Amino acid sequence: MKKETLKISLTLMIYTLIAGIALALVYQFTENRIAEAELENVIKSMEFLLTDESGNQIVDPKEIKNTVISKRSEMGNEIYNDGIGTVISPVYEFQNGDVKYYILTGSAVGYGGKVITIAAFKYNGSEVSLHKIKVIEYSQETPGLGAKIAEEKVQERFFPIPEEGLKNGLKVDKDAGKQNLDPDSAKQSGVAKVSDVMTGATITPRAVANSLNTMYKYLREKYMQGGEK
Amino acid sequence: MASKLSEFTKGIIKENPTYVQVLGMCPTLATTTSAKNGFGMGIAATVVLVMSNVVISAIRKTVPEKIRIPIFITVIATFVTIVDLLMHAFTYDLWKTLGLFIPLIVVNCIIMGRAEAYASKHGIVNSLLDGLGMGVGFTLSLTLLGSIRELLGNGTVFDVNVWGKAFNMFVMILPPGAYLTLGLLAALFAAIAINKEEKAKKQAQVSQTQKAGDVK
Repeated sequence: MKKETLKISLTLMIYTLIAGIALALVYQFTENRIAEAELENVIKSMEFLLTDESGNQIVDPKEIKNTVISKRSEMGNEIYNDGIGTVISPVYEFQNGDVKYYILTGSAVGYGGKVITIAAFKYNGSEVSLHKIKVIEYSQETPGLGAKIAEEKVQERFFPIPEEGLKNGLKVDKDAGKQNLDPDSAKQSGVAKVSDVMTGATITPRAVANSLNTMYKYLREKYMQGGEK
Repeated sequence: MASKLSEFTKGIIKENPTYVQVLGMCPTLATTTSAKNGFGMGIAATVVLVMSNVVISAIRKTVPEKIRIPIFITVIATFVTIVDLLMHAFTYDLWKTLGLFIPLIVVNCIIMGRAEAYASKHGIVNSLLDGLGMGVGFTLSLTLLGSIRELLGNGTVFDVNVWGKAFNMFVMILPPGAYLTLGLLAALFAAIAINKEEKAKKQAQVSQTQKAGDVK
């Protein structure tokens, strides 16, 4: 009986050992490639964020790449949490003439889990405005409803927002009670009109608005206070 | 040759893993919110199912009866992790879309079920065909379920607009829609099977009476 137990244990050990070695080899083989793929994804999103209204690059893609690579080790830490949203490191800074761009990553809770957004804020010396956003993680949202946040025409409703609109806190039109505004004038008062392009889903766009508010708060009250202005 | 073919085709209708064997309900209900999601889950599960069936069939004689389940699970989990790593590295966008489903494959009881019921008792080629057939059956079932839910809930199939917003029932995309659609489809498959059986019976009766007539 004891002998049999030993034999069975040994067999199981050999199998798990082989599985472990196989996994280690595949991991070794894919490790660098995975890091590169993740990085490429970040760079691609940043290039999108750093374009102006007519689609021209604001910052040289090479500079974006170098900045991302240099901040690689700081990636993914929680740096600020106001109970509603979270800001995730790092904060990227880019300069174009007198205008400064801050790129922040933030998350807030949606319908099924975290909704992560990266946003470019524009600082012209006196005013911080929301330049562009990209929702990068929404995989827990309901397809056909909340996951519609992936569509460009939905995300476009969140930018550009002047500082006046950001100060009072960005809201989705349903929460602000302003469904009758047209998208562009809604933006002026800090309202993202989404009720016409995302029927039936308010929780996901609200999460995006919440994370943007947290990012703005962190940028204005902490990050820019601590550093140079 | 015919029997080899039937090893493959049996998984598609006759022993359809979803509607007839009622296996793998967790990923079926969770991931079929749209046709694309259902299809993606099906393909990912098929790849793992074929690989694990082949390996389990190859090692079936060296696995002691008592610990076969832990060994099968080790094999399956290893393949799932390998597929996850490879997809993450080389097909980033696809991995992003399917990210949620890949870890779910480990708990997909179709894979465990086929390993235990088929691959551990049959040869490599047959096990490969069995895995492929079951995988195709699973993929088709999920795609069908996802298409119906997407169509009724969002007016589209594979993101292609069918009838716009004229007839949208959000409930079909939410969990109750999964149960409703699955129940109706399972009933349909059962009805087909019963129908076939009755036809076969009738035919048998007819040929019997014919034979009886011949003897006379």
